[in-house]
Formats: sequence, structure tokens, C-alpha cells
Amino acid sequence: MIRKPGIIVYIIATVIAFVFLWPVLYTIFSSLKTMSELRAAVPTFLPQEWTFEHFFDIWDRGSWRRGNLARYIYNTFYVAVLSTLLAVLINTMSGYALAKFRFKGDTVILLIILATIMLPLEVIMVPISRVIRFFRIYNTHWALIIPPAATPAGIFLMRQFLLKIPDDLIECARIDGASEWRIFLTIIVPNAKPAIATIAIFSFMWRWNDYIWPLIAISDSNLYTLQLHISTFGGEYRTNWANMLATSTISMIPMLIVFLIFQRQFVQGTVETGMKG
Amino acid sequence: MAKKEQTFKWYVLKQKLVPYLFMLPNLIIFGLFIITPAIMGIYFSLTSFRGLGDTPTFVWFDNYRDIFTDADFLAAMWNTVRLVAVTLPIVFYVSLGLAVIISKELRARGLYRAIYYWPVMISFIVVGLIWQWIFHDTRGYLNGLLTTIGNWRIWETALFELPLLNRIDIGPVRTLRSPTFAWWGVVFLFTWSRAGYYMIMFVAALLSIPPALYEAGELDGANRWQKFIYITYPSLKPARLMVFILAAMEIFKIFPHIVQFTGGGPFDATMFQVQYIYEEAFTYRNLGSASAMSVVMIFMVMIFTGTVLLLSRRGGEE
Repeated sequence: MIRKPGIIVYIIATVIAFVFLWPVLYTIFSSLKTMSELRAAVPTFLPQEWTFEHFFDIWDRGSWRRGNLARYIYNTFYVAVLSTLLAVLINTMSGYALAKFRFKGDTVILLIILATIMLPLEVIMVPISRVIRFFRIYNTHWALIIPPAATPAGIFLMRQFLLKIPDDLIECARIDGASEWRIFLTIIVPNAKPAIATIAIFSFMWRWNDYIWPLIAISDSNLYTLQLHISTFGGEYRTNWANMLATSTISMIPMLIVFLIFQRQFVQGTVETGMKG
Repeated sequence: MAKKEQTFKWYVLKQKLVPYLFMLPNLIIFGLFIITPAIMGIYFSLTSFRGLGDTPTFVWFDNYRDIFTDADFLAAMWNTVRLVAVTLPIVFYVSLGLAVIISKELRARGLYRAIYYWPVMISFIVVGLIWQWIFHDTRGYLNGLLTTIGNWRIWETALFELPLLNRIDIGPVRTLRSPTFAWWGVVFLFTWSRAGYYMIMFVAALLSIPPALYEAGELDGANRWQKFIYITYPSLKPARLMVFILAAMEIFKIFPHIVQFTGGGPFDATMFQVQYIYEEAFTYRNLGSASAMSVVMIFMVMIFTGTVLLLSRRGGEE
């Protein structure tokens, strides 16, 4: 019944693909150009002369801005991994409680979680900056790891997924005398693997790309994340474009690799977090 | 016997506690880092708090009076509202269009979908940088291209003597140093970076429309356009509502996109609410009035969302 799309659809689809792909490729290729080519008034798409010099320069601490790229990459990676582990654990626990238990106040809790969607970080950043000082996690990575780990989208995704697991499975284990924590670890977690993968991938992406949390919580440049580092390069006319382009390329690469491997989870996750969160 | 009863009671009590314990870590974080700050924000907004060693003193509604007479804040607010009004329909229809293309039986459909989704994976800072680089006024690709076309046109008109075309002058533009260009640049940048995300939401909804509906439409002699208007579009209602609200909220709180792209300039042309609040709080240290601005912003978003939900429930269009 569905007609095969005609050639026009392919042309339109390809032109649009070009619009999405070209700017990123242009940026990556620009980072491989020599300094004089970067200054050209009429730039070319591909470098005339390929060079990797900027990718060596950016690691050098002394050459400009005293940055320490290796440290920033390490910080970003470490924060993203720890926050993701925590996010997986606590969102799975909450999802389990909301999917498989009936308890007093469960609708209230659901409403609270829904309300938090209406309160994104951007509108509470002023008091948040006081709260993280109060708990003495200002200027520590804990501020980037713990608070963002609890996500309404993650809870809803997990809840929706766990509703599909048969209750009998849990009841059987309970009759066998398994503790609740053990049921969680041996029955719920293994059965929730797809949802866990989705939460993990999204959480990693959010933390890797995050800007506002580090901006509010970190002022010590040794603790900077990659995005914070890139954003402090300075104004357009004082900017060292060669290094900026090379650093941005480096910050994009892990996400592109993750995306190529886990494309299916991303698509699934967008549908589910969107619809449920 | 009594002991057994006691252990049973203990077991029941424990079972009752279990779900709360599972919820606990999340609730603690929500409580400490979302609910508490929200309440504190309302409190701060009624004080003249300046952070650091300062203790908040009550000024009641002075902050609200002040921010509504602050021309710069009102400008940033109006700018944000305008941005939502312009960008929202664009993002909405672009992502719907992409979804329609992707849901066709294209060869290499997965590849197209991956490419359209790809900008979603790039951080807003880097997205801003990419487009700042392309729009750079002396080294950017856009101006390079315009220069090339301009030169080519002179050569061409010399040959063919086309006086009318000759009057149109093509050459480098002021790109991000022009307020108008920068503002529309933000609209474009946001659409480019987020359309793929909302596309996926539409795709899921499109694929769940039962084919029988289309078959029925075909029997009634509906053409392609009619099928889209009378079958596809109405079936997408939940997804449309979802995308509409999520995208609107995202545009209301636009900020990291701007930081690298324009930094709010030129001449505050791309200064939006969140950046204004950020600077009020962390550059000028007026935590009280910054909080009042945040409260105003929450109300704006809530009123917007509420209106949209209400209209959609009445069966009206967004």
C-alpha cells in the first residue's frame, strides 16, 4: 500500500542531510588546516595542506591560556562516568518502587516528580548556587555528580519499562525468602537491561555536554570540564581559532563514537523519555 | 506463638517501608536540589540578598517593582517571548517535515535518520562555536562564499550586460556583528541543533498510525495531501502537544547556545532571560532581584504550558 518514494524525496532528503552534516565536517576539516589557511578570507571546505599541528599544540600547558586539556578531559570523563553509575542505580530503584509497589503517597511522589520537570536548572540556578555552598560541595566534582543524577525522565522511563515485568516473578522470589534488595539485584536489574542502557547512554551524553552545572558549581580552573574550558576561550577577536576548533573536535569525538555504537538506544530513548517525561 | 506474630508484624511493617527506601535517594536529591532551591528562590526574591557574607533582609515586593521598571530586563524578556514565537513554529514544522521524510520507505533510512539526529549529540557550546566559525565575518565560510559569488557576478555581467542584476550587490555581510543577523542566527542555530530530537518523537507517532486508516482514505479517493491533513495530522495530536510544550520550554530557557555563538551581543540583540538572570546574579551579585526574575520566568512558562494544555483539551489547535 505504501508507495515507494520517488526520486524527489531522495533529493530533498539528501539536501537536508547535507545541511546537517556539512557544518560539522567543515569544522573538523578546519581544525586540520594550517594557520595561514585559517586566516584566508575565502576558505575552502577541505584543507589544502593537511596538518595535525593544532592537535599537538592544545596539550601544551604553557603555550596559551595555561589550559591543561588532558586534565579537563579526565575531569569530564570521570564526572560523566560516576554520575551515570549513580543515575542508573537510583533511577532504577525509584522506577522499581513506582512500578511494582502500591504505597501511601505514591501519587504525591509522582506529582512531585512531574513538578520537577517544570523547574529546570535554569530557573533555580540562583538558589542552587547557595545550596551547593551550604553543603560544601561548591568547587568539587560532587556538585556535578550527585544533583544531576536524579532525572524525572529516567524514573519514568524505568517505571514504564518495569511495568512489563510479570509480578509472579517477584512474588516467587519473595516466597522463596529472598530479601527485597536481593530481588532488586537478581531479578529487576537483569530484566531492566535495555532501560538501564538507555539511561546510561543519555546520562553520559548529558554530563559530557553539560554546561550550566559546571558553570554554577566550579570556579577552580583545575576542576573545569571540557565544555567550560571551551567556553572560556574568549571573545571572537582575541580567539585562537586553531586551538578552539581542535579542542571542539576532540570534545565531539567521544559522543560521535557513542552515538554510532548505540544509535538504536538513542532513538528509543528519545521516544520514551519524551513521551513519558 | 506470640513471637511468631511479632515477626509477622515486623515483616509487614518492613514490607511497607521497602518502596519508600527504594524511592529515598531520588527523593533526597529532588528535595535538596530542586524543591528546596525553588522555595529558597521565592524567599530570596523578597529580600535584598547579595550573596557571600550578606544576610537576606526583607524588602517584600521591591524587587518585583524594580525588575518591572528595569528596561533591560523587560527587553530581555520581550526578546525571549519573540524568540519563542518565531522559533517554536519553525522547529515544530521542520521536525515534523523531517519525520515525514524519515517515515517513508527510503533506502538507507537509518543513515538519513542518524545524520538528522547527529547535531543533537553535539554540546550547545560546540554548536555555537561551529556556527560562529561559519559566520565569522572575515574568515567565515558564508562570507567567503558571498565574496566568491560577488566576484563571479561582476565577471558574468561584464559578458552578458545584465544591468538589472548588476544593481544587486552581493558581497560579505556583517554576520554576527549585525543585530538582525545574529538574532535570526539564533533561530537557525536552535532549529539546526534540536530538530533531530523532536523529529524522533514524531517518527514514533507516525509509525504507530494504523495503515488501515490510510487504506480507508484511499478507498474514499483521498489524495496524498488530503490524507496528510485528515489522517496523519489529527493522529499526531499527543505527539504534537508533547513536542510543542517541550520545545517551547527549551526555547524559553535558551542560554548555553548563545554563550559561545554571540555571548548575548551585538548590542544585546541576543540577550535572553536566562543569561540576563545569570549576569544579574553572578556578575552583579543581585541575588534578590535575580531570584525575582526567575520567579517571573517560572510563571511565564507555567502560564504558557497551562494555556496550551487547556486549549488542546478543548479540542482547539495549538
